[in-house]
Amino acid sequence: MNPKLSRFNPLSRIVCFDDFDHGLHGWTGLIGNYEKSLDAMLPEYRDLRPPMLSNGTMWDTGSAGSWDGTYAMKLATRAKAGGLAVAVKRQTWRFAGPIRMEAYVTFKPDATEMELSELDVRAFGFLWDLQNAQDRVMPHLRYLNALDGERVSQWQFKQERESLADIGQSGKTMSHFHLAGTGWEDLPGESQIMCYNEIATKQNWHYMCVDFDLASMAFTGFQFNDRVFDVSQIAPMVMPAMANLWCMLNMVFFVETDCDKRAFLSVDSVLVSGEWD
Amino acid sequence: MRQSHTAIIERNITWQGTFETEPYEVAWASEAIFFVRTLGAVGDVEEVTARVQISPDGIRWCDEGTVVLLSGEIDGVTFGKVSHFGTFLRLVGDLTDGVTLTVIVALSLKE
Repeated sequence: MNPKLSRFNPLSRIVCFDDFDHGLHGWTGLIGNYEKSLDAMLPEYRDLRPPMLSNGTMWDTGSAGSWDGTYAMKLATRAKAGGLAVAVKRQTWRFAGPIRMEAYVTFKPDATEMELSELDVRAFGFLWDLQNAQDRVMPHLRYLNALDGERVSQWQFKQERESLADIGQSGKTMSHFHLAGTGWEDLPGESQIMCYNEIATKQNWHYMCVDFDLASMAFTGFQFNDRVFDVSQIAPMVMPAMANLWCMLNMVFFVETDCDKRAFLSVDSVLVSGEWD
Repeated sequence: MRQSHTAIIERNITWQGTFETEPYEVAWASEAIFFVRTLGAVGDVEEVTARVQISPDGIRWCDEGTVVLLSGEIDGVTFGKVSHFGTFLRLVGDLTDGVTLTVIVALSLKE
């Protein structure tokens, strides 16, 4: 038994196994599309904060490390309500079949106050960004922890598209801010309470598993810790295929703050697997 | 092979008055270079500098001692080298009234 892999439940082929004890493994900051000038970018894309490697250092207890080592990938927003931090990994797929993303994650606000602060993180989530010959397909999932200071604790998906804007003058570049806070819908079932723990500097890791089928371009499963969700009624965001994105298989983690305090999402490791001969 | 990573910690942002970059965690690295590239400048940018700061927790900061001279020329690039910095790094400064700088800041890190 491989102790690094036994906590995962991969499909038959491992596409990538990113243990952030060994670097960022291709995860990088997300940027909006532009031509000629960075000013051409949609405003919402201009300041998405990039990932870093964190040893989980807290002011009161020092370094916590990660699930099974020293480092995790950390996303940190600015200290401004609605601020987002986003990490993306860009690959392509070679067989239109089942894919699975598993990860160990934890979220927390910056421990700038000696208060519980459990409603300071607005949301964190994961999405695929995919394309086949017909469509660009973007299955979005987020955990809406709180909104405007009120607890929500609800998993949501987003199929509603955001408007597509032409960027620059060439006619080749478009952009849409799909992470906007509008258009999210609740997953069927009850809300889920996380192991937030009892002060702002204690963080517990959680298991996340997202299944999707590249053949039918549909969700096939979603699990977070002990909760297995019914995904039969949820749908990805779909739009006509775009130029230059054939067989795209991108993965994105994001975190959003609900107040003027940094929100953090840490990812200990990510295992992406698929099913093909 | 040594690990390395470059983070773009500011991109097309305009500094005026007091500025500070976001905390960036660098515990894994042993050497770092802040590169500041000027995209636009207004006012007298002679002798304008930024200071490197370190922190035990990403919340409370102190000057590390390294100073980065900033350029007033479009596409001018300046840098400051640091080592032995602990877990967090950032860049701070104060621009005098009438001076603004639009910059990209890259933090190049190496194990």
